[in-house]
Amino acid sequence: MKIVNQYKKIALIAGVVMIFSSCAHEDQPKESQLDFNQPVQTDLDKWITTNYLDPYNINARYKWNQNTVDNSRFLFPPTIDKVQPALEIVKQIWLASYATIGGADFVKKIAPREIVLVGGVNSNDNGTRTLGIAEGGQRITLFEVDYINRQNRAIVSEFIHTIQHEYIHILNQNKLFDEQAWGKLTPSGYTATWHLEKEPASRELGFITSYARSNIVEDFAETASIILISTKAEYAAILAAIKSTKAREDIKKKEAIVVKYFKDAFDMDFYALRDEAEKNTTIVINGN
Amino acid sequence: MKIKYLYKLLIVAFVAIQLVACSNNSDTEEKFEEGPTARTNAQSKKLDDLLLSSEYGWKAVYFTDNTQLGGYTHLFKFSPGGKVTMASDFDSDAKKYDSQYEIQLGSTVSVVFTTANRIHLLSDSDSYPIDDLKGQGYLGDFQFLFYGEDKGDIVFRTNRKFQELRFVKATAADWTNLPQNTIMEQNVIGANTRPLFRFLETSDGTTVRQFDFNFDVITRFATADPIATGFSESYNIGIGYSPTGIVVSPAIVIKEQALSEFVYNDADGSFTATGTNGVSATIKYSNKPLVLTDDYKILLKGQPITGFGYIASNLGNTSGNSLLCKTLLNEINASLPAAQKVNRIEFTFNDGGDSYIAYSFTGGKATLYHNVDVIEDAANKTLILKHISWQTATALVAEPVLLKKIDQELTNPKGLYIKRESFKLGGAPNAIYTFTSSSSSFRLATYAFQ
Repeated sequence: MKIVNQYKKIALIAGVVMIFSSCAHEDQPKESQLDFNQPVQTDLDKWITTNYLDPYNINARYKWNQNTVDNSRFLFPPTIDKVQPALEIVKQIWLASYATIGGADFVKKIAPREIVLVGGVNSNDNGTRTLGIAEGGQRITLFEVDYINRQNRAIVSEFIHTIQHEYIHILNQNKLFDEQAWGKLTPSGYTATWHLEKEPASRELGFITSYARSNIVEDFAETASIILISTKAEYAAILAAIKSTKAREDIKKKEAIVVKYFKDAFDMDFYALRDEAEKNTTIVINGN
Repeated sequence: MKIKYLYKLLIVAFVAIQLVACSNNSDTEEKFEEGPTARTNAQSKKLDDLLLSSEYGWKAVYFTDNTQLGGYTHLFKFSPGGKVTMASDFDSDAKKYDSQYEIQLGSTVSVVFTTANRIHLLSDSDSYPIDDLKGQGYLGDFQFLFYGEDKGDIVFRTNRKFQELRFVKATAADWTNLPQNTIMEQNVIGANTRPLFRFLETSDGTTVRQFDFNFDVITRFATADPIATGFSESYNIGIGYSPTGIVVSPAIVIKEQALSEFVYNDADGSFTATGTNGVSATIKYSNKPLVLTDDYKILLKGQPITGFGYIASNLGNTSGNSLLCKTLLNEINASLPAAQKVNRIEFTFNDGGDSYIAYSFTGGKATLYHNVDVIEDAANKTLILKHISWQTATALVAEPVLLKKIDQELTNPKGLYIKRESFKLGGAPNAIYTFTSSSSSFRLATYAFQ
């Protein structure tokens, strides 16, 4: 067996030497070919970094990137001059309100990581417009940025409604609301053709808007966002105008679920949030 | 000893493997000198360098869909740092605007106009030319995939539809002359002062063919259908404007020559594209209808009585009347007292052997009759109404100055083209007959009373 042992040793040494030396002539990795140069930062880019990226870790994208939008739609990026005003509104009414009521870190923890701004209208086949999209708790896309005019209360209100509505989706995508309880309130009123319904008629069925009738997730987001964008008096007026007692009670029950959701899931006083949002909305519209 | 041989064999095999393991004979042959990342980077740099290389930037006439829309001229001047200055003839605003661009990697290297500017007007779902394009705008893209260079042009394909789009080097004149495209649009629409009929005439050097030409300014799209029977080819073309004429897509192909650039002639309002060996295509005007009908024959002497009437309240503002006709009617109304207006112009043929034009008015003014002789011009297929006399219901009168101009059109010595139209006007079920001068752009629409 001696000769076998000798062979073994020789072979082992030879093998190890070979392994260490065998591929020595191969190319070693060189400097990366990828372009790591940072693009030129415009004043707007710097503003976004200071106001969104650094404090909230939210990236506000305004430059077109086909991967963040639906390429089958005919959309276009915002005009540069419209970007900062839009983001200022978002910051003032949404970020600041939640930070005040929910705590400074609230939106840092539960926020979309990306806000995508689109200049044009997102038209649907049925004649409706999609004003915003919230995806996977991570991204909010806001459309019609080119139409924003701070002096026009109706336009600002609609834009704020979109932000509040989409953020409610983001919250829901992080913590579910009581869908079962909600679903029992007005189960027969949901319809795919909600866009054909008139708002007063929808309210008589226990829905805050016609869009709320598309499904319970939208119903929740609409109920919460309409309360958030209305003053206490305005919301009371909406309820007072409803003739059906049952419809009014149903909306109040939905409101109670929303309030409970904010308390249980985030330990937040929903009415205080509404008051804060109202205060900030006035600041935006008055241009302060 | 069996095991010993086994070891020997194993060791030999092991050594052999080590010896050949790092052979340079790779089975995969390198097809490119550079790796894919290096090639993509090079391509991106090449595109950006190209875009920046032209002193006055680039020009692109963008036909987003040449089966239903025309071309929109865009000028781009690219600057370092991702800035682009742009102007277009989408509407009358031909001013320059700044925005940003990027070279992005999509399915291949592409240029993207990343913030809104003029080119995005073609991709606004809320601004569409026709209902069929609701939600789709003008079908425009603003991300263009780089497909290389060709004779100094940059060749792109559009991101969605993969159509070729060429960026041609622009000149200083392209920028200064861009507003003239809007003026040219008016020439393509055609002035109301031009003759009433318009056609596309093609020539292959020997045979001349004519096509009824219709242009829709909203879509910048024209259709040209053959006039002669037995020839079915039509031209459906998108039209783009230039300071000197128009560019059409798809090109009009005659004898394998593609004609796409037409030059405007202000003298007669025509647009001509000229090839070689007598090949040409011209869009031009004519006072003569392209198709002459025999519709006038029922008005000739010996036929049963017929009546046709222009009724101001129904037909006054309709497209059946030419601008000249409307102008003359307005002149008459303007020279009448406020309460009086032209009410009807009625033609009666073969009423007991007599034919006459009756001009009636509102506000109590008496009807005036122009008795005429009806003569056929069989060669030109026109009907000539020749003056006999003027009268009221009771007495002969001299030619009324008030009606002189309009009456001269109706009784012009070269005659009238009479056509039973396929369309209806003014909400009445009656057939429409038009009376069109063969020597001017006068056309009057009437209801047939039988």
